[in-house]
Order: sequence, then structure tokens, then C-alpha cells
Amino acid sequence: MSSPFLEIDGLNKGFGGLKAIRDVSFSLGREEMIGLIGPNGAGKTTLLRLITGILKPDSGAIRFKGKKINGHKTWSIVNQGIVGTFQNMRPFRRLPIIANVMVSCLSPRAMKRGEWVKRVEAKAMDALEFAGISDMALEDASTLSQGDLKRLEVARAVATEPELLLLDEPFGGLSPAETDLMGKSVKRLHKGGRFGRLHSEGPAMIIIEHKLQQLMKIVERIIVLNYGEIIADGPPEEVVKNKDVIRSYLGGGGI
Amino acid sequence: MLLDIIISTLINGSVYALLAIGFSLIFGVARIVNIAHTAFYMIAAYCIYFITNSLNLHPLLGMLTAIVLVTLIGLISYKFFIDPIREHEAAVLIATIALAMILQEVMLLIFTGDFLSVPSLIKGYMEFFGVRIAFQQLLTIGVALVILAAVWVLLRKTRLGLAIRSTANDREVANLMGMNVAQVAMMTMGVSVALAAFTGAVVVPLTILNPHMWMHPLIMMMAVVVLGGLGSIKGSFVGAYILGMAESLVVFLIPMGSFLKGSVALSIMILVLLIRPEGLFGVAFEEER
Repeated sequence: MSSPFLEIDGLNKGFGGLKAIRDVSFSLGREEMIGLIGPNGAGKTTLLRLITGILKPDSGAIRFKGKKINGHKTWSIVNQGIVGTFQNMRPFRRLPIIANVMVSCLSPRAMKRGEWVKRVEAKAMDALEFAGISDMALEDASTLSQGDLKRLEVARAVATEPELLLLDEPFGGLSPAETDLMGKSVKRLHKGGRFGRLHSEGPAMIIIEHKLQQLMKIVERIIVLNYGEIIADGPPEEVVKNKDVIRSYLGGGGI
Repeated sequence: MLLDIIISTLINGSVYALLAIGFSLIFGVARIVNIAHTAFYMIAAYCIYFITNSLNLHPLLGMLTAIVLVTLIGLISYKFFIDPIREHEAAVLIATIALAMILQEVMLLIFTGDFLSVPSLIKGYMEFFGVRIAFQQLLTIGVALVILAAVWVLLRKTRLGLAIRSTANDREVANLMGMNVAQVAMMTMGVSVALAAFTGAVVVPLTILNPHMWMHPLIMMMAVVVLGGLGSIKGSFVGAYILGMAESLVVFLIPMGSFLKGSVALSIMILVLLIRPEGLFGVAFEEER
């Protein structure tokens, strides 16, 4: 049997006395799109940060396509095909929006050798087109609204042409209509194909999200974290019926 | 008199602009306050002196060799001296002061503390309303402006420029977008030191060589950077010409007052900071984070 696409094996991470991630193990297939949910402070963002190499795990292994990647630098992980977005959007505030996306197009992974800056710019434009903010390409990133920043974040991630995309609350701060639109974009991206000059491999995805209803529309599998441990893992319909999940996360209020 | 002031403003301003932009670049990308920046400018000048006077080669060859050599020295000192302690900003600051002192002492050992000079690249002058303008002065201004334009093109139109601007804006995000920030920092250091060396090369015929010649430009360069706004290239450019003009005005308008030029320029810097703490084109710090 070939090794899984992404395999997380006995991962631990603590901050001082606090254990943020406890013995987390799961694997993800190339075609999968999963949701990651849990109460605040459950370690969801920490998990993504461990995968992208921003944080180093205390113990355990992260294998991508059978190769151990923990300990690698973030930029090198991006070049192997994993890219993440931030929960709090962090654009390059003082660069125009188009330049924000061009930076991702520069990663050796997305760029063929000898490509001209003009072509990179065209590609970045296509990424913006995909995210739906191409009309604002020349404005400074600091002028964007919350929802548009989210789109910029997605455009930047897409421009690296990832095989595994980690989205941290892509619907956070969006209006219901915007959420719907973003959900559709994400799904379309997952299917893959070409968007202008931009090529999408149809990345596998891990999505952290609190808006469960929207999340359940687009993912086939949900992992629930609580106090750094996985308490449920399965199809959305099953997970929402799980007693542990209801007690720790869904509470009395329902979804 | 007016013409004198303009010429001298353009020369001083261009020199400060070149130095300040190089200094800003490496500060922006790697958060390194490189006190040794003008020391590189000094060794470039000495290098040219050595090649033209001791080896009797053409000054142009001397300039090219100096730029290559000094850039190499800069990269080596970055790799072995600054990069290993880069996480520790105070240590980096002290290390670069030490580096500047080492370079100064080495020059003192080799060339002694005598005042030296290098012949002009082109001789002669033209007279313009009774004011003598040496061709060398015009050449220096011209070359400096060309280099400034080249830096602008590098930053705006090339991949390296985009890498530098984005890393300077937010290092962590650049990293997350697949940018090898360590490599970008290394290349920025190369560009930065090369700029210092270029500056040394263009002014050496107009100035007097001395192992302490890096001190005054260092102070002026820092003043320019603070005046223009830390990390702002445009600010460095504008600030450089403002302070350059202030210096020349003092030198030409106050009789026997040239010793005041530094303090007047610094006073202007302090005045601007009192009104606009972030500098002319700077970004307020809470946004920078």
C-alpha cells in the first residue's frame, strides 16, 4: 500500500505548561476535503501552524507524500505543495493587491524558470479574477474590506498552486451572501482545472470553520478537536450526532 | 553662489540618498541596523585609492574592482558575522559597530591616518556665470542619479525587487507564501553593500580619504533615514536632498560656519520628528507590527 497523502502521526505540542496538541494522528487522502472544528482554544490553528512549519512539534511526525516534513522551513514546505491562510488576514499592507499575489506566484513551485515578470503579473491577475477582486488590483492592500481581504488571502494561497490547501476560517467575518460565494469558490477550486493561466491541481483541503452549516455543505469528512485531542472523525452527519461533540462543542444551542 | 549651492546640494543629497537607501533596504528586509554601512563606503574609497595610486591602474578599473570586492567583503561579513546572531537585534547592532571599528583600524594600519586623495576621472571645468563647475562634479551627480534610477527599477520591476519589498513589508507572511527569506536577506545585503560601494566610487574623486571618513556620512545617513521615515525608500530619497540642501546652505551662507552643517541638519531632523514622529513618509508603528 502506498503511503497516504498527508499523514499525521502522534503529534504533540505544548506551550509552557499548556498542552495544545495531544497525540493527534490522522491521515488525509489526495482527493479529500475535510473540516476541522472544535471549541475556541482546542488547538485547530496550532495544528495548521504545525503542518505549515511555523511551529515545530515537540514530538510526532508529519509526513507529506511519504516524506517527513516537520523541521522543514515554511518556505520549503510551501514549495513542496502545502500552503495555508491566516485566520487574521495579513496582507502586505503597503503593496498593491496585485503585488501581494505576485509574491506567491514567485515561489519556485508556481514559477517556471525564466518566466518574465509580466507573465507573473498576468497569472496573479487570474488568481485575483478567481477570487473576484481583480477590479481592485492596483489599490493598496490596506484599503480592502474584511471580506475582500479574505478573498485576497485565498487568491494568494491559490497562486502558489498548492496540492494541499489549509484554510483558517475562510468564512469568518463574511456576510451570508459572501459566505455562499466563498463556499462555491472553494468547491470549484477543489475540483481543479484551469483558471486562465493559473493551474489548479485540485488541492486536498483542511478547512477550519465555525459556521458549521456552510462547512457541512462542502466537506465530506469532519474532524473534531477538543483540548488538543481528536474526539470525533467521520462524515458530517455522524459527527453532529456524536455525544462527546455535542457536550463539548455544540452545547445546548445546536448549530 | 546659487549655482554653488545647487551643485553641492545635488552631490551631498545624492550621496546621502544612495547610502540611506542601501541602509533602509537591509533594515527593512532583515531588521539589521547596519552601523558598518558607511564603513563599506570607506573601504570602497580606499580600495580605489590603492588600485589607482599603488598599482597605477586606470581609476575606472579601480572603481569596478572596488565595487565587486567590497560587495564580497560585505557578503562574507554578513554570512559569518551578522547572520548567526540575527535573531538578537541588540547583538547585531553591537556587532556592526565592532565591524565598522575593525574596518577603520585595518585601514589605519594599512594606509595610516594621512589625508589621501584620488585624481578626478575627467579633468577640467566649465565656467557658468562666473562659477566654476568641475566636470567631475557633474559626472558624480549624473552617475549617482543613474544608480538611483537603477535601484528604482530593481525594486519596482524585477522579481528580486518584489521579493525585497514583500519581505520588508511582512517577513512571516513572505515566508508563508513560499519566499526563502534567508536567501532574500542575503541578496538584499549584497545590493545594500554594493550601493555603499558605488557611493564610495562616485564620490572618491571629490573627497579626502581618511580612516574616519565614515563617521559623518553615517550620522547624516541615519538622520536621513529617520527624517524620511524608517523603512521608506521614497522618504530616504526626499530626506537625503533636504538634509543635503540644509548642509550646503549652511556652508555657503554662514561665513566661517561650515562646522555648523551637521548640527543644523540634525536640528531639522529633530524638528520634523517633533511634528511627525513617524517621519515624512513613515508608517506609524502600530500598523507595522
